[in-house]
Amino acid sequence: MSGSALLEIRGLSAGLQGRRSITQVVSGVNLDVHGGEILGVVGESGCGKSTLAAAIMRLLVLPQVLQSGTMTMRLEDGKTVELMELPDNELRHLRWRHLSYIPQGSMNSLNPVLRVERQMTDTLIQHGLSKKEALDRSIAALELVNLDTKVLQSYPHELSGGMRQRVIIASAVSMRPALIVADELTTALDVVTQRQILQELAAIRDELGATIILITHDMGVVAQIADRVAVMYAGKIAELGTVNDIFEDPQHPYARGLIGSIPRESGQRVEGLQGEAPSPWNYPTGCRFHPRCPEVFERCNQHTPTLQQRAMDRWVACHLYDAETEFDG
Amino acid sequence: MTANIDARADESATERQDAGRREVFQYAIRRFGVYLFTLWAAITVAFFIFRLVPGDPMNILLGNLTRAEGRQRDAAAEEAIIAHYREIFGMDDPLPLQYVNYLRKAVLGGLDLGPSFVEYPAQTKDLVFRRMPWTLGIFTTSVFLAWLIGTGLGALIGWMQRHGLSQLAVILSTLLQITPQYLVALGLIIYAGYTLRILPAGGPYARHLQPEWSWEFISSLIQHAILPMLSNMIVIGAGFTLGMRALMISVLGEDYLTFARAKGLSPFTVLKDYAFRNALIPQVTGLAIIIGATLNGTFIIEILFQYPGLGTLFVQAMGLRDFNTMQAIVLFSIFAVLTLTLIVDLALPLLDPRIRRVA
Ligand SMILES: Nc1ncnc2c1ncn2[C@@H]1O[C@H](COP(=O)(O)OP(=O)(O)O)[C@@H](O)[C@H]1O
Ligand code: SF4
Ligand SMILES: [Mg+2]
Repeated sequence: MSGSALLEIRGLSAGLQGRRSITQVVSGVNLDVHGGEILGVVGESGCGKSTLAAAIMRLLVLPQVLQSGTMTMRLEDGKTVELMELPDNELRHLRWRHLSYIPQGSMNSLNPVLRVERQMTDTLIQHGLSKKEALDRSIAALELVNLDTKVLQSYPHELSGGMRQRVIIASAVSMRPALIVADELTTALDVVTQRQILQELAAIRDELGATIILITHDMGVVAQIADRVAVMYAGKIAELGTVNDIFEDPQHPYARGLIGSIPRESGQRVEGLQGEAPSPWNYPTGCRFHPRCPEVFERCNQHTPTLQQRAMDRWVACHLYDAETEFDG
Repeated sequence: MTANIDARADESATERQDAGRREVFQYAIRRFGVYLFTLWAAITVAFFIFRLVPGDPMNILLGNLTRAEGRQRDAAAEEAIIAHYREIFGMDDPLPLQYVNYLRKAVLGGLDLGPSFVEYPAQTKDLVFRRMPWTLGIFTTSVFLAWLIGTGLGALIGWMQRHGLSQLAVILSTLLQITPQYLVALGLIIYAGYTLRILPAGGPYARHLQPEWSWEFISSLIQHAILPMLSNMIVIGAGFTLGMRALMISVLGEDYLTFARAKGLSPFTVLKDYAFRNALIPQVTGLAIIIGATLNGTFIIEILFQYPGLGTLFVQAMGLRDFNTMQAIVLFSIFAVLTLTLIVDLALPLLDPRIRRVA
């Protein structure tokens, strides 16, 4: 993997603290996030996407725990920081300036008792802006998401779901961060609003040059705006590649299943995935996908496949490609 | 398309704010209606309940008189006395008429709640007014202090829920909260009042003093109030602490708290503006509930500390089946509780912009 990535994640594991032991939810994720891209992280619900997002943000709360790994982030001035080792107070200064988060459940992410203005500007003021600058920045950010500045005087419950989501996005981009982690950005919204917000997000990327990790269970969302896709299954990356490559020629059987499950407008029968994603307490041995895999063979339930590079920008974790990969070197 | 969204957003935001103000006003009106209705219902229930208490006040009064004076009972004289009193107290009328008269006098007659037995011919109203400051003084001060301390402490131990000290505080509060108030009072009387002799444990002020605006009197007043107030505060405060802790912990799990931390706000701001502000709203409602639920506890404490408040008066009135007085006490208690609750509830919209949703 190249050294030019904005964020370099290596061996990231996170789990749930039980009475005696930790149940691993995210297992040894390696991922390079390139500057300026929209990286989609996609997988069925329950496969650890939100845990991964919160782990990247260092926002896990008990029982969730970080177990191991490194996350190296390159700042604008060329310096790098190791997110895993950053003390809390330094991390705090990095947030919103360099690293923003749009959490899953954004409907409830605004403080119900404070006006929008206060919630947007308090952050900016604490990051060193004057009151006036903070207000100007907030207004500029609201314009990016096509909201009138009147929302500044509103309480969250006076706003519709789409408006709330836009306020969150505006807040997250108001300090022009290099990296934005957005978890299920559009899940709770109607289709029209979904599409508008995705367009706004793409525009923000173009205008601010931000890098976005877009987490979603919806392949359709990924197809609309992502540049690259990481397909996640049971806490691991199954396949990683450009959107075009993966949609044209999915190689991991799980990626094929996911793409096959996208509802077609023509009303074709959907041939998709059978069964359900396992919970972290019953991750299968070997390849975690093997109980559901249509192409499972002997090796699969004993040996764990690792993520192997198959082409430029193409990584797959599946035993089907073991021999080829070995020959390729 | 964009302009469209803007226009819609503007309109709905202003509209919703106007609607919001209207609804808060309606909420206040509605809340006041509920207040008046509850007050009426309480008066009515109190009226009938005390007339159902067995034992004729006249017989008890006469029995006491004769016993006190050691004379033989004179049946004819007794008859005359009873008839006289029954007339004064309006007891010969049928119950519904008594009720209507009672209401009429109370509302139109300037709170005329009839004469008392305990200190005949003193008016019940005057009797209650004389005793009420003692009760309300002790009660409101201790409940509000307990609420302030409990809310602050609970917020802190909820915020640091995994700290060893917080867990210790939870165990202590739980123990205190389940202790009956009178046991705490007795404990304080015995330990602080008699064993250590650090504070007076009986009466409203030192016996040799007269009420006056002197430092000596006021300091004696305060010293005498400390133990009864502590008895009230310890149990109630422990309850408020546990309540606020639970509210804090549940608020800490909210999405807006994760988002607040994600924004890089200082921990103090997260605690103050995001966690505490939100946990405070149900905690204020809790105050209203506790005000209603703990006044009777204060009555018991008064009796234990020989405090000349309504509780002590109530016991005297009970002994004579003086239902005029008992009823007046209950009435004033209900009035005090309902009014305090009303104030708290009307203050809620100031704290919670969503109030109309929950109301
Ligand atoms: N705080 C938590 N408590 C209990 N289980 C959790 C918690 N967070 C995540 N999990 C479990 O971990 C798994 C992965 O969750 P999550 O990361 O939210 O997946 P996704 O975002 O892909 O739907 C799920 O099985 C979920 O039930
Ligand atoms: S390793 Fe085996 S079970 Fe897993 S996806 Fe590949 S073929 Fe299927
Ligand atoms: Mg999720």
